[in-house]
Amino acid sequence: MRRLPLLATSVVVATSALTLAACGRDAPSTGGATAAGAAVASGKATGTITIWAMGAEGEKLPTLAKEFEAANPGAKVNITAIPWDAAHDKFTTAITAGTTPDAAMVGTTWMGEFAGLDALDPTPGNIDRGVFFPGAQKTTEVGGTSYGIPWYVETRVLYYRTDLAKKAGYTQAPKDWAGLKAMASAMQAKAGAKWGIGLQAGGTGSWQSVMPFAWSNGASITKDNAYAFDSPQMVEALKYYQSFFTDGVADKAAPAAPTTEPDFVSGKVPMFVSGPWEMSAVEKIGGPGFTDKYAVAPIPAKQTSSSFVGGSDFVVFKSSKQRDTAWKFVQFLSDPKTQASWYQQSTDLPSVQSAWKDPALASNAKLATFGTQLKTAIAPPSYPTWEQVAAQLDSEVEKVTKTGADPDSALKAVQQQASAIGTGQSS
Amino acid sequence: MTGTRTPALASAPAPAPDRELAGSTPPRQGRQRRREGRAAILLALPFCLLFLTFTLWPVVQSLFMSITDTRSRDLRHPFKVDVTGFANYARALSDPTFLSAARNTAYFVVVGVPLTLVLALAAAIALDRGITRLRSVFRLGFYMPVVTSIVAVAVVWRFLLQQDNGLINTVLGWVGISGPNWLGDPHWSMPALILMATWRNFGTAMIIFLAGLQAVPWSLHEAAAIDGAGAWQRFRHITVPMLRPTILFVSVTTGIGYLQFFEEPFVMTAGGPLNSTISMSMYTYQQFGFGNYGYAASLSYLIFVVIAVVTAIQFRLLREKD
Repeated sequence: MRRLPLLATSVVVATSALTLAACGRDAPSTGGATAAGAAVASGKATGTITIWAMGAEGEKLPTLAKEFEAANPGAKVNITAIPWDAAHDKFTTAITAGTTPDAAMVGTTWMGEFAGLDALDPTPGNIDRGVFFPGAQKTTEVGGTSYGIPWYVETRVLYYRTDLAKKAGYTQAPKDWAGLKAMASAMQAKAGAKWGIGLQAGGTGSWQSVMPFAWSNGASITKDNAYAFDSPQMVEALKYYQSFFTDGVADKAAPAAPTTEPDFVSGKVPMFVSGPWEMSAVEKIGGPGFTDKYAVAPIPAKQTSSSFVGGSDFVVFKSSKQRDTAWKFVQFLSDPKTQASWYQQSTDLPSVQSAWKDPALASNAKLATFGTQLKTAIAPPSYPTWEQVAAQLDSEVEKVTKTGADPDSALKAVQQQASAIGTGQSS
Repeated sequence: MTGTRTPALASAPAPAPDRELAGSTPPRQGRQRRREGRAAILLALPFCLLFLTFTLWPVVQSLFMSITDTRSRDLRHPFKVDVTGFANYARALSDPTFLSAARNTAYFVVVGVPLTLVLALAAAIALDRGITRLRSVFRLGFYMPVVTSIVAVAVVWRFLLQQDNGLINTVLGWVGISGPNWLGDPHWSMPALILMATWRNFGTAMIIFLAGLQAVPWSLHEAAAIDGAGAWQRFRHITVPMLRPTILFVSVTTGIGYLQFFEEPFVMTAGGPLNSTISMSMYTYQQFGFGNYGYAASLSYLIFVVIAVVTAIQFRLLREKD
């Protein structure tokens, strides 16, 4: 009991110290952001750099690092593989404590936040940004400045069963919205499919299914550096998306754990929209010969065919003491030859357009479709609050698909919440 | 039974430490006291420092965070933020998602806690009186879900709860009931999670009840039986009153656990469909994930207040009546 006064005193002292120290925010800096960082020095790289990478990339990157070390005898690259789940916290902690690695693979949606923390080094002027897919390059840009490079990309396309499409009377992929709807209905009517097409009815990331349709209708998520969800194009796209569920072409009560691959192979759901990883996933379940039973096609167009571009970026941290070596490693990663050989090792699609000329990529018709789609694919804005706003969009999309809520008022609700949340950019 | 102290909540008054030492002359005694005082401070110092650094400081800082507009990008300068007073709290109380999370949590607690308690008590009584053979096997079986990993169990439960060929709906089909789309239907997702949480948690309560039951003297039952009391009457008037402190303890711990329920929606439904299973803890977790540290901290303190109030109510309802 004798400790109690001491305790109380320390609480009071600590609290008042806090209150005194909390002297409010600094005024936002008004200085214009630099467009590009200083050029990387030429010559061989030297010194030791530490790199963080997540997931499968983190496990496979040491092979590339060895190639880099072989080409630059004075350099040493230490790769730390970190799990995706822990990555975001690990980065924010490291940035706060000033213990970041020299360079790292970074999820595209984190760019705004990390750049806002003033942790990233702007891309040097002598790294050509024109070689990347424009949508992917956009993911590195925060407030007009580019930080790092897009390392690898992925985009969403339409998967469909060619054998069942033939039964339904189709030998070609649908080119436009009306065609897609008609084909999905025909799959149900003539090809024995339970559902015509598999579209995400809600839950985390369903915006990635909706936005390709919206972008293909000429919609944009931002306007005048603020969120803009209630545009007529967006409403029209969401209405179209909803019609698949209200007409019973898509399953609005799809299970929490998706069964996309087995349903695709069994013909229960012979069409869906997803990314490149599904190719190996459906072929694994479908067994030998399944490759010839399905095809991929660009997102059906309304005005254009614009899908979603995702993937990961590669950045150099400002606190790096080996800035030149780190950027040289990034340069090495963006070399078309490295990009093509990285595809062979990891099946990550190259972000550099010229790497797609490599025979391994060019000879595969399905991959070529991804290559075509990537040219027009669009990335969500790099605002730090994007993930939070996207979660609001997900939850409103779910209301639209499952309860038949009005798309117009759903998007107005998203817009209202997005305006309240703001873009989260400091200036 | 009035006045009977039970081991669960009784607190024996500790004997006052004898401060008087068998000393000799006053100055020597004083020196010894000083030395003793120094030793006490020295011994208590590590604990105090650890407590201040790792327990008190985080509490103070998170409390401070909850009255500011701290976001993840302020981490480098945690004090260069604007103090917004109770704005975060006001925002929480008008946030429709948080309010539905609060409703979901209330639903989960109001249905889940009594269900768990009744099931645990029934299992404990069965083990205490009914089941005589293979008792330890049953005890182990009932307790097993408690020690399983939720992540592994979630996979199995998702299979069990599947609409078309899940085990639960297959069994329901045998008796002519066409089962719902448990995890996909906003009306059935919460019952499904309550079912799973009860299955996972009743084992702990059962073990505690079992210990409580063994403390009920059999002579009371014998005496009541001689007076003509039936099994139900004996349960109602002997077992339940004797178990009251145990029931209080179990309902408080289960209540606190259920008010913070997080794992079930996190691994099973991600809060969906249509936010029907999002809980207060999970929404708070999401807000931390979005980097709204100030707002999330204020949500944590709201949960803390709710837990304190609910626990106080439980103590009031279940306290020993004299």
